[in-house]
Amino acid sequence: MGRTTVRGTKGRGVAALAVVVPLLLTGVAACGSGSGSGDGDVTITFVWWGSDGRANLTKKAVELFQQKNPKIKVQTSFSAYAAYWEKLATQTAGGKPPDVLNVDTRYLAEYGGRGVLADLNQGAGKAISLADVNPELAATGVYQGKRYAVPWAQNTPAMIYDPAAFTAAGADPAKGLTWQQYADATQKVSAASGFAARGATDFGILDTTLEIWLRQQGKQFYTPEGKLGFTADDLRRYWQLASGFRDAKGASPADVTASYNTSPEQAPLGKKLTSSEFAYDNLLPAYQKANGKPLNVAPYPSDKAGETGQYRRPSMFLAVSARSAQQEAAAKLVDFLVNDAEVGKIVGTDRGLAPNLKVRAQLAGSATGNDKTLYDYEAALEPKLGAAPPVPPKGAGAIQKLLQRTYEEVAFGRMSIDDAVSRFMTEAEKGLS
Amino acid sequence: MTTVRTPDPPLARDTPAGPRRRDRPDRRRRKSQPQAFAFLTPWLLGAVALTVGPMVVSLYLSFTDYDMFTAPDWVGFGNFTHMFTDDDRYLQSVKVTLIYVLVSVPLKLTVSLLVAMLLNTRRGANGFYRAAFYAPSLLGASVAAALVWRALFMGGGPVNEVLAFFGWHTPSWVDDPQFSLASIVLLGVWQFGAPMVIFLAGLKQIPAELHEAAAIDGAGAFRRFRHITLPMLSPVIFFNLVMEAIHAFQAFTPAFVIGGGRGGPADADLFYTLYLFEVGFQDFRMGYASAMAWVLLAVIAIVTAIVFRTAKLWVFYDDAEERT
Repeated sequence: MGRTTVRGTKGRGVAALAVVVPLLLTGVAACGSGSGSGDGDVTITFVWWGSDGRANLTKKAVELFQQKNPKIKVQTSFSAYAAYWEKLATQTAGGKPPDVLNVDTRYLAEYGGRGVLADLNQGAGKAISLADVNPELAATGVYQGKRYAVPWAQNTPAMIYDPAAFTAAGADPAKGLTWQQYADATQKVSAASGFAARGATDFGILDTTLEIWLRQQGKQFYTPEGKLGFTADDLRRYWQLASGFRDAKGASPADVTASYNTSPEQAPLGKKLTSSEFAYDNLLPAYQKANGKPLNVAPYPSDKAGETGQYRRPSMFLAVSARSAQQEAAAKLVDFLVNDAEVGKIVGTDRGLAPNLKVRAQLAGSATGNDKTLYDYEAALEPKLGAAPPVPPKGAGAIQKLLQRTYEEVAFGRMSIDDAVSRFMTEAEKGLS
Repeated sequence: MTTVRTPDPPLARDTPAGPRRRDRPDRRRRKSQPQAFAFLTPWLLGAVALTVGPMVVSLYLSFTDYDMFTAPDWVGFGNFTHMFTDDDRYLQSVKVTLIYVLVSVPLKLTVSLLVAMLLNTRRGANGFYRAAFYAPSLLGASVAAALVWRALFMGGGPVNEVLAFFGWHTPSWVDDPQFSLASIVLLGVWQFGAPMVIFLAGLKQIPAELHEAAAIDGAGAFRRFRHITLPMLSPVIFFNLVMEAIHAFQAFTPAFVIGGGRGGPADADLFYTLYLFEVGFQDFRMGYASAMAWVLLAVIAIVTAIVFRTAKLWVFYDDAEERT
């Protein structure tokens, strides 16, 4: 009986494949012939990561570009952050990378260093103007002497918090707290909610927060040579700090921390399980929407007044594929997105502040609501912002996950801080070599 | 899964027309070979282009260091030795997958057999229950089912609340390394519909006379189950065991969705295929991922072969003497 079954399945499988394969082949052929039409018109592809809301804004900007450049047709697509990188890797390996793409600083070395991205200091890329972009911000797209990307927006790491909860606890994060004051405040916030919600999301899993904390002490996450810029002792002290918050019930318990996901909707603060979380300032509206209460942004706590360790971070880069046959059109689109005042108005602060300072100044004048909060926050911070760190080395994406994983072992009490530190250091050095 | 039909051979044995009937298709088969191959061509093209080709490439890549962007570097057996000597996460993924296979497959088979026996009667509402129990497995490895599971078992989710009502306070199941694998095992077991339907069909084949005769001889329900149902059902059990074991080794979607796309808290849900995917598509180590895929293939082949070998000891075929 087993035999008949197996034979039956196979027979049907063959029949199904016989139907499906020609379909697939014609489907593939149809896709292939879609691009490239006559009349000197060119078609370029443009991909980014983000949500539906961001997609709508971006599509409007692209439509405007097409109106102004009727000979260029732009095909767009987008996905969520993690899926974006998986898709991009596959497309690139298949020899068909998109013409214009978004790149994250964590993956710039990966793609730039392997010759996937065009050097924008050469050829068509020279048409992209960075004259009105803050030079320190513009420099973040340069890796090993080549300009692989231009920043499309600027954000800065920030603490996003519920002002009502912290005011009730007698603290004002917007004015700047020391780490000790922050610890005390989070405990009071937790106690006020009967420990159902905590004052802070446990930040031991966050690579950005570790980086800022290191910078506050004059150290860095990665050296320009692409090695770890901190020692086991630094990491131990950082995790002791974070664990102190958790042990005092100021920060989220392990299972809440483990649910942390890169999207604000899924993060503990977004789910109202905590009252403050380290993230990026431009995520304020998304967090607020998810949380439902009015939220605010504040600088990082710091033990040295004025030294927050924060920097002008390229929240997202625009890059052009080295294999693109339409370099000129691609460069035109990039220049348009970076420098056009209308685009600045359309995309707003969704990705962060406009990279072009003239556009930014214009927008800042008329900003309202959350936009105004962001402009005011960054304007106040501007004199204190430091230079961005060097481009993280290949493998930085994996280091972020390693940090989260090893710290979870600590948070769940499955490993001592010392053991977790030595595991992190060993694996990180292996991953970066 | 396709439905299981009445096995023809035993019937054919009884009818004198049997042998002649068997001859005819043979002759026809020989004549129609060119047409058969003509019809097969699209499939052959597809098999070569979409299956055999990629497999050969992946076998080659498994001996290389390949980052998807630059040309692959030959490293010989480097990937394979690294796997077993220098990669803790790999060993963790092996451990998680083995636990999943060893726990979920027997559980799923037991549950599906029990439910199949409950439904193997002629009562009115059985049609509804059969459909209701089968539905979850139609969702199969769907993302939607996994998302629902995550919502059910997360902190403050219904499962948490119900347990808390009974005084058992649990953390978020899906986000706690102690429970998260269990929640995925439960999801796997819940989708027991496919083996259940096959068991049902198998149960229908067992002649009622056997049970009646045994009952007259004084055999109780358990003895009849032990000495009639199980042996008569053994080929179906065998089939389900092989299929479910293969599926379990390849489980991916539930772990991917429930584990937050990263192998769950502290790698508690790091399934083999999930780690393979991460290594290949997130860490750009396609050569290593290919090597992992070939090891998985080899392990599944070996496990299946072992199950087939042991089958002689416990699988009872009605027509065993005919096959020799």
